Amino acid sequence: MAQAAQIILGGLLQGSVFALVALGLSLVYRVTGIINLAQGGFCLLGALVYDSFAVQLGWPVPAAAIAAAAATTMFGLALGAASFVPALARLPNSSMLMLSAGLLTVIEGLALILWGSQPYAVPPFSGERPLAFFGVRMPSQGLWIAAAAALVIVATWWLLARTATGKALAACAENPLAARILGVDVARLTLFSFGLTAFIGAVGGIVAAPILSLQFDAGHFFTNTGFIAVAIGGMGSFAGAIAGGLFLGVAEQLAAGYISSLFSNALALGLLLLTLLWRPQGLFVPGRRRRHDVRDEQRLYRAILRVDGRGAALAAVAALALLAALPALLGEGGVQSSLTITLILFIAVLGLDVLMGFAGQVSLGQAAFMAIGAYTAGILATRYGMPPLLGTLAGLALSILCALVLALVTMRLRGAYLALATLTFGLLVDQLAVGLTGITGGPSGLVGIPSFAIGPWTFATPSAMYALVLAVIVALVLALAGAMRSSFGRALQAIRTDQTAAAALGIDVARHKMAAFALSAALASLAGSLYAFDFHFLSPEMVATPRSFEMIAMLVLGGEGTLLGGLLGAAVVTLLPTVFQPLADYKILAEGAILMLAFQYLPAGLLGSFVRLLEPRRGRRAPAAGDAVKALLR
Amino acid sequence: MTAPALEISGLGKSFGGLRAVHDVSFAVPAGSLTALIGPNGAGKSTLFNLVTNLFLPDAGAVRFFGTPLAGMAPHRIAALGLLRTFQTARVFPGMTALDNVLAGAHRHARAHPLAQAFWLPAARREERALRQRASALLDLVGLREFRNLAGTSLPLGAQKLVELCRALMARPRLLLLDEPAAGLNDAETGELAGLLRAVRDSGVTIMVVEHNMGLVMDIADEVVVLDLGRLIAKGSPAEIRRDARVVEAYLGPAAEGVR
Repeated sequence: MAQAAQIILGGLLQGSVFALVALGLSLVYRVTGIINLAQGGFCLLGALVYDSFAVQLGWPVPAAAIAAAAATTMFGLALGAASFVPALARLPNSSMLMLSAGLLTVIEGLALILWGSQPYAVPPFSGERPLAFFGVRMPSQGLWIAAAAALVIVATWWLLARTATGKALAACAENPLAARILGVDVARLTLFSFGLTAFIGAVGGIVAAPILSLQFDAGHFFTNTGFIAVAIGGMGSFAGAIAGGLFLGVAEQLAAGYISSLFSNALALGLLLLTLLWRPQGLFVPGRRRRHDVRDEQRLYRAILRVDGRGAALAAVAALALLAALPALLGEGGVQSSLTITLILFIAVLGLDVLMGFAGQVSLGQAAFMAIGAYTAGILATRYGMPPLLGTLAGLALSILCALVLALVTMRLRGAYLALATLTFGLLVDQLAVGLTGITGGPSGLVGIPSFAIGPWTFATPSAMYALVLAVIVALVLALAGAMRSSFGRALQAIRTDQTAAAALGIDVARHKMAAFALSAALASLAGSLYAFDFHFLSPEMVATPRSFEMIAMLVLGGEGTLLGGLLGAAVVTLLPTVFQPLADYKILAEGAILMLAFQYLPAGLLGSFVRLLEPRRGRRAPAAGDAVKALLR
Repeated sequence: MTAPALEISGLGKSFGGLRAVHDVSFAVPAGSLTALIGPNGAGKSTLFNLVTNLFLPDAGAVRFFGTPLAGMAPHRIAALGLLRTFQTARVFPGMTALDNVLAGAHRHARAHPLAQAFWLPAARREERALRQRASALLDLVGLREFRNLAGTSLPLGAQKLVELCRALMARPRLLLLDEPAAGLNDAETGELAGLLRAVRDSGVTIMVVEHNMGLVMDIADEVVVLDLGRLIAKGSPAEIRRDARVVEAYLGPAAEGVR
């Protein structure tokens, strides 16, 4: 009994921190419709700045806490004013998501430079001695966490429900255009809400610092748990964020206490997936089912890239010649193996482009299908001596099966909800890869994977593997280009923006979505298998969820809906770390900054911007359609 | 005698307490151009949405050339040859005007996606033929020059024409048009009237919701009048013009004397 109470109390404390992160995510989502992945970065900054003031400089706790919260809020406002708010007016949702991921990387990169990579243990506010009530012990920091969470929650509630600013924020959330017409300064309010969430995040980070081990990359932890909490509770809902946070905290602690700490995360994720499928609006939000986000549709406009057939063919042949010549130019070695990996990742990005760029379905689970392909092929080859080609095909079959099931159960989810469901699937697969040590080898990995072979031909040298992957890519790009320029591709593009109008033309939306999901999973699975055979070794983090985000970054950076753009994106993202290696501690910040700037200033992607450069005037001299139509119809 | 293109019997739909469409029955003869008119809020667009199963009716049935449409998914209805446009032009953003029109060919495209992927001669021939037909359709409404511009960059009237071409691209048997003349000036409306007549003469049945009475009286063979969700009159344009209930519905009871 006392043990249960102890566990639940611990869960509520942890849940209070989750609730604070969730509250911040929820606020920005309400006002902008964007999931701001940088939210966890504010928690991290708050905690680290507090540590500097309180421990390094020896300030008293209240002064250090206030200074840390103020500094983080100022930083948040600056970041919002320079990047998030201005980008909001121009970028589609997928780019905004990646921009916020870039912001998180920038914050973590900054933390690495200022605080280094060692973990910080922050002392509790009021001594180490735990409090005890009726046999249940609680760290004294628990009181501070509970009090801070309650205070922030009440203050935020008062601000939203009782003040004119709160009403104006609600108006922005309901209908930004109407709010602007009525004289609400939407940009300023968005910035205000961004600053407010930085403050809330900082408070959460500061009070939670003593019970966590802090490192420069803890921002991801905060963002992930907050994201899950807000989704369980109900996106955009104030009460839902708090209830979701507390619920998640208690559920994780109960699972860790009674089942196994290894699977406590998997349990939380399973819970989230069920929630999304059963009550997408969240467990704690009464009212209508809301499965898709109407604001998505307003952001789907995209510049059209037109390249005439001959130009495209010429460029493709030139690119292919360059790619074929690269190994000879660079010689075998580190660069060539990273080129092979770039190309392998590009295969998975091609799949993502079909799903996201053409069919408009945001997926944060692409790496999970890589994992399925990689592990299936790897395990079959090492444990059962199955030929690599057969293992690859088995991986393909399993991935397609999983993708079809995932597509079926998420059929009616759209936008942020679909992103969450696919993310949850991805995190679940991560958990299984780590947790099923008997099958996958667990965190220490799967060793001794043979080289790829087709019948008697073995691709054992790096050059042979490079040539094989390049040949696969040429075939895939040709096939996808053929399908995407024809009725299949047009149907996917129609579904991307207007499912109702697509159905009214006889397009079977469900079937096409499932086909896109299956195709995308198949390409990821193929990439995963090739990756395993190329590397001869497989560990969970090679194909884990950060990889999914990385692939979206490649796609958006290169240009969605362009097929070939992903190659540029993959090259930049894989080669950046190599290029920035000499920068040591500045590497992450530089990467984050470059990605952030690219998302912000190259909305059509690298390929798009390149094509624009080639035809500088044509756009401007486009005939004024209105007048000419009138003239023609008169 | 062949079955009517559309046979609507006892159709009803309520939203909350509001009866948007109540016990409406009428038939659209095959090969006719029937206009559906009525004051704002009469239930015209709702009727279209009921016929194409975007909304599920509370009561009644719809038959399309004798085939009952009850419970059929919207894309199956379109596949049968019943095509529609929307009140607010729903041109696909991010696609050129030509690609928008080509999307209408979906129900005819025979080449399997794999044939498209392998650039098989049959698939390429089909694609070429479709592109030619789509360009020709855009030429018909004077938009050929703009085929490579983003569909959504065109003015509203032109977007409605793109949407019309997209529906025509599907070779419909019955075409439901929701306010096709919105956003067009008088001259353009005249062109549209000619086009619709030509489409009807080629054997396509048309039902059109339209507020422009001049256009309706000019082109319609039959006029169906809805008011407050009920059918109040049906007949030739000349009969409708003389119908007291129609005048009352549009102008209010007091207008009786004014006329």
